[in-house]
Amino acid sequence: MGRRRRRVDRGAAVGALPEAIAALSRTLPAGPSPEIFRRAKFDRPEAAPALWQLLFRVLSPLSANGASAPPAQGEPPSTEAQVRVVKSELHSQGYPRRALAQLPEDGSQGSRELLLALAWLLARGPLLERLLAQTRVRLGDEIPLCECEALASPGPPVPRVEADGPVDIRHLQWLMGKLRFQWRKLITSQQEQCALLGKIHSYTRGCHSDRSLGHLSVAETELLRDAEGGRQDTVLGTCPPEASQPTFVPRIPEKGAGEWELVARELQALQEELRGAAEPRRAAWEARVGGWGPEWSAVQRASREAVGLELAALQRAWERGGAAAQPHGPCRLVKSDAGASGGPGLRAAQVIEVLRSREACLEAVLCQLQRQCRQELARLAGALPGLIWILPPGR
Amino acid sequence: MLPADCSRRLVAELRDALDACAERQRQLERNLRVSRRLLRTWEPAETPAPQPTPAPETSGEAPSPESTPSPQDLKELELLTQALEKAVRVRKGISKTGERHKALSLKSGSAAISATTASAPSRASGQASCRVSETKPPRGIQQTVVPARGLPECRLLSVGDRTRMGRGSRATKPGPGPRDQQIPPSAALQAPEAFTLKEKGADVDCWLPQPLWKPCSGLEGGSPQSAASLSTGFPDRILLRLPMAYRKAASRNSRLWAQLSSTQTSDSVDAAATAKTQFLQKMQMTSGGPGSGLSAAAVEAEVGLLRTACSLLRRRMEEVLSADPADCMQEYRCLLTLEGLQAITEQCLHRLQELRAAVAGQQLGPWPVGRRPGASLPCGGGTDPIWSPQLLLYSSTQELQTLEALRLRVAMLDQQIHLEKVLMAELLPLVGTQGPHWLALCRAVHSLLCEGGERFLTVLRDEPAD
Repeated sequence: MGRRRRRVDRGAAVGALPEAIAALSRTLPAGPSPEIFRRAKFDRPEAAPALWQLLFRVLSPLSANGASAPPAQGEPPSTEAQVRVVKSELHSQGYPRRALAQLPEDGSQGSRELLLALAWLLARGPLLERLLAQTRVRLGDEIPLCECEALASPGPPVPRVEADGPVDIRHLQWLMGKLRFQWRKLITSQQEQCALLGKIHSYTRGCHSDRSLGHLSVAETELLRDAEGGRQDTVLGTCPPEASQPTFVPRIPEKGAGEWELVARELQALQEELRGAAEPRRAAWEARVGGWGPEWSAVQRASREAVGLELAALQRAWERGGAAAQPHGPCRLVKSDAGASGGPGLRAAQVIEVLRSREACLEAVLCQLQRQCRQELARLAGALPGLIWILPPGR
Repeated sequence: MLPADCSRRLVAELRDALDACAERQRQLERNLRVSRRLLRTWEPAETPAPQPTPAPETSGEAPSPESTPSPQDLKELELLTQALEKAVRVRKGISKTGERHKALSLKSGSAAISATTASAPSRASGQASCRVSETKPPRGIQQTVVPARGLPECRLLSVGDRTRMGRGSRATKPGPGPRDQQIPPSAALQAPEAFTLKEKGADVDCWLPQPLWKPCSGLEGGSPQSAASLSTGFPDRILLRLPMAYRKAASRNSRLWAQLSSTQTSDSVDAAATAKTQFLQKMQMTSGGPGSGLSAAAVEAEVGLLRTACSLLRRRMEEVLSADPADCMQEYRCLLTLEGLQAITEQCLHRLQELRAAVAGQQLGPWPVGRRPGASLPCGGGTDPIWSPQLLLYSSTQELQTLEALRLRVAMLDQQIHLEKVLMAELLPLVGTQGPHWLALCRAVHSLLCEGGERFLTVLRDEPAD
């Protein structure tokens, strides 16, 4: 039974291959024609540039786990640059074959290897679905719940004049002040946008054909407005692509060796503190408990188990990523009165709770860092006598 | 002055942070522009040609929010609104079954109207031009009911709009003359009047209005007789509806996505999965050397996890240290917890060293050493792409504002913490080495690191009084 089915399947599969390839070339961005795929199978050199370009398009936004990168400014990067990016990205994702690394940088050879690389990418994860999810038209007013998608998109690289020479620390203070001011501005703009959004949602209540949504989003309202103005003919033409981009979050700059150092240093500092806290307690405890009887050992065992369970739970919190419980990805904002408890979807109140706890957590971390700095500076400053340090008010 | 390399790094960091903020601001402003535009009057694109007085009509009756209506207008509006609300309440109370009848009669009504207006020249098909004026019984403002051709689209008009439009149309359409409930097909069909989204009065669903209805007596009275006449179709409001083409496309889209997600759970997936794993294994085996099994991406992800671990462990440690043990048992448990935390921290450190060794080993080879533009994701990569976005339900604007403010605050804190760490790493060593202007440097560093740049301390030289 199995064998027969396999044969049948293989026959069906062989027949389905051209169709699949055609579909693939349609779906992929900068999709090469099926002819390119066929030539690549025979390792023809003319198929190589198209495949390099395809892999570049597929990998560069994907390097950030599916976040869509804004289109590159100016002309697309040169072939050499594309080749380099593809190679480094594949390597960092763990591509096993070294033959790829040895392909020439002018992108003239290696189409079969590239085909293998594409197959590898397709086999490893839901590549096509991710690409589709990136390029889909966002119809609703979307709000990203977890910052991962936004974190990953680095944004257009701004041509920046690097400060070459030494810089006064006052320049740094000025930049910090500017940053604080920007955030304040951002917060007020965001509040205004929320108010407008709330208005649009409530004014268009009842207008959506989908009852569970109930009202139109900004994109849909714009569609209506432009459609009625006779300005747009096609449905898709009206859907504004940037109407609701995932909001951008400060990019965590490239992790070089600095990241290792930071984490290692933090862990070491933590270890020191723990040792400093635990050792004296252990000594004191031993001194006290030294002579206690065997009935104590049962209690001790129970405590040990309890603590072990707690710590295991703690470990699971980060090992599993912790975010499994949290909702992931963008959510469509829907204004609904009376908070229907039965319906699907998240409630804003829940999300607010989660965010508040995260805020408290982060504030605690920041305070602790500042405290650390203060102690360190006090230590350093204390070395110099004859000075009085008056701390700023409001502590 | 700070040393050159240190300056460069710090300035780059701060500029990065500023750029990120600016990018957010840009996106936000774009969205704001769009939203503001939608809430203003929707001016039509072109004025229609074959109209007697289209231009003054549209410009005259454009109810832009900026122009303030006269007090008399306001009073009229008030009266009319109240009357409408009363009527709506009456009607709601009376017939729930009237819904169905309304819908049916609506269809017949609209069919009749489209038939009569089919001959009249109409605008481009993409445009829905449907206007409804409310009669104001004492004024006798004409009502023109013109549904769009073919598409059941209409405009959402508030009382205010209707009043103003009606008045405007009355003023500028001398030709048709004062009318009651008749339909002037030719006149108002093509006029694309300006339109504004407005707040709804009562919460009633209603569809296209009836062409003929009895307004006057029904409004004032509220008697059963008038109620009956009201139930033949009181045109409270018209609803905006998305174009049919869009709705079709949207429903097809969601159907296809649903199909896609359902195919993920079928049996053929297993066969595909085994085929995939076999392929990947073969790839691994035919590759040149022994892979360490860890890609740089995975390593980065683990480092991120270890960072989270560190902060969680630290938080637990602080909890334990701050708790005051009441009795022996608790003391013992505190002790055990601290020792357990210490053990876990050592494990993490060990793992970090392992990862570092793995990455260092992998750097050898023909691969170009490039820096990945992506960052490690705290959410753990590899999650499934979202098929269709979940819904996030909010109940009031304040709630939405709170939500967004918190999101921004969390992002800001993230950024601040990162900057704090970077600044600490770069600036504290500088303070350690005494140099010229050490005091000024110390003061500036204190303000940057300990007060977030917001406050400054004062340093006094303690001169002994001679």
